[in-house]
Formats: sequence, structure tokens, C-alpha cells
Amino acid sequence: MPEWMVVFAVTCSYLVLSLLVGLLSSRGTSSSTEGWVAGDRSLGFVILYFIMGASIFSAFAFLGGPGWAYSRGAACFYIIAYGTVGLAPWYFFGPRVAALGRENGYVTQAELFADRFQSRGISGVLAVVSLAAFLPYLMLQMSGAGYVFEVLTKGHVPFWAGAALAYGVVLIYVFQSGLMGVGWTNTLQGIFMMGLAWGLGLYLPHRLYGGVGPMFEQILRKAPQMLSAPGLGPGGEPWSWGAFSSSILVSVIGFSMWPHYFMKMYTARDDRTLKRTVVWYPTFQIFLIPIMLIGFSGVIAFPGVKPADEILPTIVTSIGLSPVIVGLFCAGALAASMSTGDALLHASASVAVKDFWKVLFEPDMDDRSERTVMRVLVVLIGALAYVLAIVAHVSLVKLLLIGYGFIAQIAPLACATFFWPRTTRQGALWGLMAGFAVTVLFNLVPAIDWQGIHPGIYGVVANVVVLVLVSLATRPMDEAHVARFVVQ
Amino acid sequence: MRLKPRIFSSKLTRTERLVYGAVTVFFILSCLVTIWPIYPYFSHALPLVLGLPFGLFFLAVVLVVSFSALLAVYLWEGRRERPDSRSSPAEERR
Repeated sequence: MPEWMVVFAVTCSYLVLSLLVGLLSSRGTSSSTEGWVAGDRSLGFVILYFIMGASIFSAFAFLGGPGWAYSRGAACFYIIAYGTVGLAPWYFFGPRVAALGRENGYVTQAELFADRFQSRGISGVLAVVSLAAFLPYLMLQMSGAGYVFEVLTKGHVPFWAGAALAYGVVLIYVFQSGLMGVGWTNTLQGIFMMGLAWGLGLYLPHRLYGGVGPMFEQILRKAPQMLSAPGLGPGGEPWSWGAFSSSILVSVIGFSMWPHYFMKMYTARDDRTLKRTVVWYPTFQIFLIPIMLIGFSGVIAFPGVKPADEILPTIVTSIGLSPVIVGLFCAGALAASMSTGDALLHASASVAVKDFWKVLFEPDMDDRSERTVMRVLVVLIGALAYVLAIVAHVSLVKLLLIGYGFIAQIAPLACATFFWPRTTRQGALWGLMAGFAVTVLFNLVPAIDWQGIHPGIYGVVANVVVLVLVSLATRPMDEAHVARFVVQ
Repeated sequence: MRLKPRIFSSKLTRTERLVYGAVTVFFILSCLVTIWPIYPYFSHALPLVLGLPFGLFFLAVVLVVSFSALLAVYLWEGRRERPDSRSSPAEERR
């Protein structure tokens, strides 16, 4: 059997396994919308841990992450740096979000904020922004999957077919099992990803240099500027401390706000489960260190790989590994892509129905039709993202960067919801809009930026200022209503 | 207005407020040490520790410390919530 077929066979076994796990996982949950979107709020620690871990780390983990370390050196440390805070804010407001979800039946992020501020506008704006951030993110996952397939089978499985195969499986299990499908497959995929990252991260430096220490010593002799932060910029020039620090800040602010993670707070069985997930989350996250070691291992041994994202597939296919191992690598990289893609697809469909369509056009939609429409949307959104990923060559990374700046704008809204009773509907809405507008402005006109500071930071500042001023200038909201949400 | 802006619920005990306050301050600090102007003091390549450049090792340590801090709070809460524990460890220390 030719080598590429072994690789293909191993990868397909993984896909079949994912499909089986995904299909079997819906047993035991109700057939309501709450069951499909939030798993009947019954998730235990293990599944929640893997949902959070595996959906956060996307195809980026095996392509972009090593690519950053390989081409930009210590700049990639920022990804570890923002993880020091990571999900910790959830420890404090998570139980509150979960309790409000149980009382009022929320399953998405915007439902909570729209209720607090009695505003359909906030729901609509958040839905549009979430979907606008999700789509390029989902497309990136699909192209990652197609790309890995194509390279590792030496072009025998073309890009379009690889993406279709991997996301066909995702589509089926998300359609069928909703959140539980995402949860159980992410558990499988998470174990695969972690195993692969630690395995390769320790093996490659050893194989190519005789150990992690000797590897860094060699890099230090040839390219010392790569090993001290802030590392290098996208063009190989030194990166600025302003850009390094503000990337960390904007990620710290936005990290716990991504709508598809945020809605997972509703899924926990109880508060202790939710807190336990937050506490143990860094044990997943520390696998970013081997991911970086993988990227660094290419610096001396494989110079000049372009684009840098191809460094890991390049190493794996050129050091004469057994095709079974290459197949496992392919499966692991697909797992990273799929475990994020499934959560995005699931969240997109839920948000589009709950926060957009239902709120703005069909307030009395019943539970059954909600669930049906969500499932139809899984297929439609999946198909749309696929076609765009295959056909269009939009600069996805640019879109995604703007997306990160956008998501950070939700943080002031969340703080206002829980901690500042004086916030009014107008204050919240205008703050949000100002934040978005300023983020877009600084993205479109980079010349006005100072010290390479992330556009999202300017957005957050504008957002907070407008939120406070407009709230103080408008009439306070009804106390009895606000008291349900704020900490007292 | 009757409702006041609060970070911690007024129902918490003094000890609880102290612990949560300390953790909040700790996480703000753990973010600040990873950015300018503090991180530049730790971001050099040498010495290599456990084979890692010092700046990376430093971040790994911060990550492990913040993990331990939150784990400690979690365990402490667990002990307080258990009905058979007569006094919380934090109060014993006083």
C-alpha cells in the first residue's frame, strides 16, 4: 500500500470514530432547544473541561502557532501570557450567569444582556457581530482541515475534498446531537490534540537537536533576537512592546467574552462543576509550550519555509516518520480544527435563531420550530462557510483580527451588567456602538495608531467612556428589574 | 439610588471578601507582570532554565502560580461549604 493511503486510512479511522462518538452522544438529553443548545444544563466536569480546552485551541494550534514561533520567535509568548488570566474572570461571574440562565431560560450570551438592558437592539447588534466574527473563524478551520489533508497525503486528497470530508462529519454530528455532539467529540479530539502536541513538542527538538536546551542554544547563536520578547513583527522587523502588551491586554479582556464560550456557562451541571473547569483549564492550556517548541525546532533545521504556517507539516513529512505516525498527526490536526469548527457552527446557528431572527422578527416562535430552524441553519451556515473557504481568497486573518477587537467590546457590557446598577439601556447600546466604531476606524486607518497598540484597546476606552457618560445623562432603569442582575 | 455598585456581594463574610479581593488583585498583577513595563525585566533569553529561554520559563511559572492560586481558592471554598467542617482554615490561622 502506498504511504499516502496509510496516512489516509489512519485519518479516516479517526473521522469514523468521531462520527460514531458524535452520533451516540445525544442519548439521554431532551429533544428541546435547551437540550440541543445547552445540553439540558447537565454537563459534568470532564466534558466541560474538554469543550473549553478543545474549542479554544483551533487549527491555529498546529499551523499558526508553530508558524508564529518559527517566524516571529518570542512574539508568540503573548499567547501564553494572556493565558495567565485566561478564564479566571469566569470563576467570579460564571455562577451568576449560570443562575440567571436557569431562572430565565437563557441559552445564549445576548439573551442575558438584552434582558438586563431591555433592548432588542443590543441583541441584534451582538448577534450580527458574533456571526461576523464566527464566519471567518469557521472558514479558517475548514481551510486548515483541507490544507492538512492535502499536504499529508501528498496531494492525493485535494484541498476541497479534505475540507468536505472533515466538515461533513462535523455537520452530521452537530445536526444530530447539538451540544452533546460537540461535547463528546471534543473530549476525544482534545485528548488527541494534547497527546500530539506533547509528543511532537518533546520529540522534534530531541530528534533534530538532541534536546530542548541544545535547540535553544543553537538558536541563540544564530538568531538571538528571536528568543527575547517582544520578538519579531510580521515582516521580520523587531516587534514593539506596545503591540506585544496591547495584544495581551485585548486578549485578556476579550477571552472570556467570546459568545461561543460564554454560552457554555449555561451548560454546567452546577456551580462547583463550572468553577472546577475554570480552575483546571490552565492544565490544557500549558500545551501551548510544546506547540511553541515545535515551531522553534524548525528555525535552524528548516530555514526559509514560506508561508511560516506550513512549518509543522513540512517537518512531519520530511523527517521520514512512519506513515502511521503521519496519519495520527493528520488526525490530531483535524481534531484541533474540528473541535473548534463544531462549536462555532453550533453557536452560529443558536445565535442566529435566538438572538437575531426570534428577537427581531418572530417573537412567538415555539421551541420545536426553533430547534428545526437551528438544524437547518447548521447545514446552511456550514455550506456557506465551505463555499467561501474554497472559492474566496479573502484575507481571513485580517477579518479575524478585527473580530478579536470586536469581542473585547462585550467586556464593558458584562461588567456594567453585573457591577454597575446605574447603567442604562442607552448607555450600554451607545457604548457598544462607539467601541465597534472606534475599533473599525483604527483598523481601517492604521496611521492614527500609536506604538502599534491594538485597535481593540482604543475601542474599549471609547466604549467605557460613552457607556458611563450616556448612562449618567439618561434616566436610571427600574430598580427592581436591575436588582435581578447586579451583585448586591 | 438604593442599588450600589459592588464587586462583591454584601452577603459575603469579611474573610470571604478578603480572600476574593486578594485573588482579584493577584490576577490583575499576574496580567501586569506579563506586559510592559514589567515584563521587559524578565524577557531575556538567558539563562536557559529547564532548556527554556528565561522569558518563556518566567511565563510558565506565572501560569503555574495563577493555576495554584485559583485551585487553592476552590479547595478553600469546598472546605467551607462542607457542613461537617467546624471552622474554615482561614479563620483558624487568625
